[in-house]
Amino acid sequence: MVNRPEIIVEARNLAYHYPGEEATSFPALSGINVAVYRGEYLALIGPNGSGKTTLLKLFNALLVPSDGEVRVEGVSTIDEVEIPRIRRICGMIFQNPDNQLVATTVEEDIAFGLENLALPSAEIRQRVGEVARMLNLEHLLQQPPHLLSGGEKQRVAIAGVLAMQPGCILMDEPTAMLDTASRRDVNDMVRMLRQNHNIAVVHVTHFPEEAAFAERVIVLNQGRLVRQGPPKAVLTDLSLLHSLGLQSTAASELAALLREDGFELPSQLLHNRELVDSLCSLELKS
Amino acid sequence: MFIGTEKLTYTYMSGTPFAATALNEVSFSLGKGEITLIIGPSGSGKSTLIQHLNGLLKPSSGRVYFKGQAIGSDKGELLRLRRRIGLVFQIPEEHFFSETIYDEIAFAPRNLGLAESEVRIRVKDALEKVGLRAEQLQYRHPFQLSAGQKRLVAVASVLSMNPEVLILDEPTAGLDPSHRRNLFALLDNLNRSGGLTVIISTHHLDDVVALAHSVFVLQGGRMVLAGPPSEIFTTREKLYDLGLSLPSVTEIMHSVKEKGLPVKTNIYTLAGARQEINRLKGRPGR
Repeated sequence: MVNRPEIIVEARNLAYHYPGEEATSFPALSGINVAVYRGEYLALIGPNGSGKTTLLKLFNALLVPSDGEVRVEGVSTIDEVEIPRIRRICGMIFQNPDNQLVATTVEEDIAFGLENLALPSAEIRQRVGEVARMLNLEHLLQQPPHLLSGGEKQRVAIAGVLAMQPGCILMDEPTAMLDTASRRDVNDMVRMLRQNHNIAVVHVTHFPEEAAFAERVIVLNQGRLVRQGPPKAVLTDLSLLHSLGLQSTAASELAALLREDGFELPSQLLHNRELVDSLCSLELKS
Repeated sequence: MFIGTEKLTYTYMSGTPFAATALNEVSFSLGKGEITLIIGPSGSGKSTLIQHLNGLLKPSSGRVYFKGQAIGSDKGELLRLRRRIGLVFQIPEEHFFSETIYDEIAFAPRNLGLAESEVRIRVKDALEKVGLRAEQLQYRHPFQLSAGQKRLVAVASVLSMNPEVLILDEPTAGLDPSHRRNLFALLDNLNRSGGLTVIISTHHLDDVVALAHSVFVLQGGRMVLAGPPSEIFTTREKLYDLGLSLPSVTEIMHSVKEKGLPVKTNIYTLAGARQEINRLKGRPGR
């Protein structure tokens, strides 16, 4: 890339203490310096309690920094007047879509944020129609959200955020409660958003198979950023992952064991297909 | 039959225009001390089935059996049943209501009318069973715990009733890999040492299939497959058609076999896969 990529969210020397926990052994987050670039797909991994959700909440001003700052399109989240704009730019998707669907029909739910912006109704209708087409929800617009499947609900939640025309979507384990098909659905959609709409996605996940599809992976531990880089580098650093109680993809984990046994497999292997192809090219005796 | 159903059928909002059949003539039988997985897409009836097994829902038709006896609808009988069959809901820590971990876990034994001296023993035992130290934690507020600890306290609050069957609905959603493995190790241990019968409903098969004696597959309220893991995960096409997937390791073994290498596919752990692939090379593996 010739142009310097545009930063959409940036944390500088960011620290956060939960109220009443100033005195505890380590703050929820400290010394975080990180930028999210426009259109990038960033995976955020780390053990429970490492600060992933806290970081997302700081990114869209649900929390304000105890120290340092977060800037969204250059504007500090400390500035209360700017909070509505910051939340429009950085939309949030939670683990359980039931916690975030509010209206009696899918259409009204997607429109909820837009109505709060007091947009003209013609524009609201147009934007709702657009995102419904994009996310394949048109046939469900008049349905009550609670009758949808988990994956459909999560798509509705994402549609509501997309209708706000955000620059960045923050997703907190969006697939944890979903079945295989819905999980695939949501993951395909994340890739589509990035490729076709240049929307940045910050994806908190405990599934290495999901992080493997990101462009960049950030690892948090005890409130600190301990590693970042492309999945091929971060997710194949098994000694780091294991020391934090994390794991890599099954293919990467298995490849490491087989390498110990003398199988000559490429070192940066993450996906099943790569492992299977490499194994088959070894001419094992049958 | 230790626990099971016979032609269990359940219709939500029966007699209204919204009537929906969630379970359709589901029959199964489990022996004492088995670990069983219930899998199936969202909306296939997993949670509805689970709620019948401890009497939270009453069959529209058909029966539920426990220790050879049909479960009646008598209130006293249902209460006795719920003491024997413990249910851990999805994201159970969202239902915490006590000020201390002690009170949270003591709730059930107190409801059984036990003396406080006996309650104290039950709480200590339950915390020990899940690997938490009573003296360290019992007077802390549940929200001061990490995500993994909260989940363990939720399990302890059910174990404090000394149930004979433990049912868990998507027990590892939101847990990181090490907490996930710990929880499964705990269930395996309770099963091996105490003969606890365990039923787990989940979308995430990794790490858990290796523990399971049997797997039930639900779709559209019907039991479409049932058997030991080695049978259920033998043909992937059938599971794909149902919108399900295989454990990651099993998936890899299937792909390796498809490429013409003669490996077994009924393998659910990294160690198993390592051994099997080493066999190709004529080496024992580790």
